[in-house]
Amino acid sequence: MISVQAVSKTYGKKKQNQFTALKNISVDIPSKSVVAIIGKSGSGKSTLMHVMSGLDRPTSGAVVVNGQSLQAMKPKQTDNFRATQMSFIFQAFFVEANQTCYENVSLPLEIAGVPIRSRRQKIMNALMAVDLTDKAEIRASTLSGGQKQRLAIARAIVNEPRIIFADEPTGNLDSATGEQIIDLLMGLNREQGCTIVIVTHDPDLAERCQYSIQMKDGQASPLMKRRPRRMVNS
Amino acid sequence: MKIFDLSRRTLTSLRSAKARTTLTALAIAVGSFALTLTLGASNGAESYVGKIIADNFDPAELLVARDESVFGQSDASKPREYSDSFVDSLSSAAARTQVKLLTDADIKSLKSIPEVESVREDITVNFKYITVPGQKRYVATARAYNPYVKPKLLAGKIPPNLGASEVLLPEGYVSALGFKDAQAAVGETITIVIEPPLQGVPGSATKEYELNVVAVIAKPKSAQPGTELYLFSNSSTIREMNDIASAGTNSYRKYVNAYVKVANGTDPAKLKAAQTKIKAMGLLAQSTKETQEFLNQIIGILRGIVAAFGFIAIIASVFGIINTMYISVIQRTREIGLMKALGMRSREIGTLFRLEAALIGLIGGVMGSMAAVGLGLAANPVITKQLGLDDGTKLLQFRPVQIVALLAVLVVVGILAGWLPSRKAAKLDPIVALRTE
Repeated sequence: MISVQAVSKTYGKKKQNQFTALKNISVDIPSKSVVAIIGKSGSGKSTLMHVMSGLDRPTSGAVVVNGQSLQAMKPKQTDNFRATQMSFIFQAFFVEANQTCYENVSLPLEIAGVPIRSRRQKIMNALMAVDLTDKAEIRASTLSGGQKQRLAIARAIVNEPRIIFADEPTGNLDSATGEQIIDLLMGLNREQGCTIVIVTHDPDLAERCQYSIQMKDGQASPLMKRRPRRMVNS
Repeated sequence: MKIFDLSRRTLTSLRSAKARTTLTALAIAVGSFALTLTLGASNGAESYVGKIIADNFDPAELLVARDESVFGQSDASKPREYSDSFVDSLSSAAARTQVKLLTDADIKSLKSIPEVESVREDITVNFKYITVPGQKRYVATARAYNPYVKPKLLAGKIPPNLGASEVLLPEGYVSALGFKDAQAAVGETITIVIEPPLQGVPGSATKEYELNVVAVIAKPKSAQPGTELYLFSNSSTIREMNDIASAGTNSYRKYVNAYVKVANGTDPAKLKAAQTKIKAMGLLAQSTKETQEFLNQIIGILRGIVAAFGFIAIIASVFGIINTMYISVIQRTREIGLMKALGMRSREIGTLFRLEAALIGLIGGVMGSMAAVGLGLAANPVITKQLGLDDGTKLLQFRPVQIVALLAVLVVVGILAGWLPSRKAAKLDPIVALRTE
């Protein structure tokens, strides 16, 4: 469970220049759930995600993940925590174009210090989960947008994290490809039981998540449960 | 991240920016090239000096003199105190220099030292001329033959003890004196005329010697420069000739230096004992080894000067590395952000970039030194031929240890140059980095 407790985030030191990105937000995200953070750009949804993942420090308040307060940790511990428990998917994929798919997926394992002999199996499993097994030794630069995002997902799941943060994962994709990516994420949640936090302004995507949080001007709505969308349209 | 993974990722990164890596490395390669050549040339010079010394000086001998300038120890910038033992070393007033000389009394006391086996005054006699009947006359210089030196012979043989009327003729005089070839000169007689420098000195008069050529010596390639045309004769003959050539002058029976052969002098302890006793007599004594060290010191100074240019090139290339590394950090900002988001430590990010800088240094170093070694190996035969050195003389000699040490230095230079950029990378805020387009 990710417990956000009275978190505020203020930028700028001087009073007149201050900008409050998060205003006293408290929300609990249940384990193994899929949560969408929705809102207009500038509403603070990305900042909330950064604070939840420990990439950013709140000005006040605390984030407690599975009973551990991120703010109480030393930087080294936070790094280690992120390396072993969390993962990220970004709108712009951030796959390394001049590396092979295999090398891209290998990165989190290397960072987490996974021994070299146990890497291969994990990497191949991750590539299989996103259906990129045949592209393992191919440079990422040759992949299409959808394939790149699938590669990013393989990279995100390779170290079996408990939480995946996805920042506009379908933002750079056409709707058909976006749909595939959403299916993939939902499948991961079902099969591997990882918590997925998705920052998005894509209503289709938000609608498919179990929960949503609506952000507006730095303030968050309570966690709202959505009923599952019907698979057949019209 | 483990160091192995860091290195592998560094290599991938360098490979993906080949042109940039190569160009930056080239700047270092220039410095590395210059330094490798400098090292190679000074190694070669040292070994060449060693060869000259070994060919011309007996390690069991000490070079003994009274004057500091013989050993290059006098300081021309300071006033020199006058001494009554000063003697004009040259008869020409224009080239007058004053040196303290050894006397017969000195030679005698040198001989009385128990460790001393023999003493050989270093005499160089200038003849009025040498000739062969019906041929032109030539000026010439002679020295006493030192049995330790084994000159290369073109014809004839050197007897174990060179006789009083025997002479070794240098190759250069063979055709000048009208001989068909070296073989034809052997067994022939040459006429040597010696004239006292001052007229009317009692007991001195111009004298003619008829000396028998026993061997023709090849133009020595590793001789002391300026001695290529010296004739060699029996030491008592040379002494007698010198008496005439210096009769009435104040350098009569006086010597700039002498060679003192120490019994079992190849033993450093014995050599040292004799040297101490000679110094106690108020004379200066230098072993062959010390002479070599002195010459090597001069080579060392020259090496330092050339090496300084190499270092300047390397310093210039440091700015190239810094620049390249900053570009690399900027280009990989998003990657750095991603790695940090995935939990990579700042310190590891810094290491990643320092490794990259170190590798650029290493690559440049290897390129430069390999080019220098390649050029050196190719140029050695040409240089040897052009300078007329002995076959097999290598004036550029490369030692792996030095090259490895040079590469290690360049790696350190690379790391230092990469310090600021790698710090920038390590300090990047992942959120800002990930937002970069």
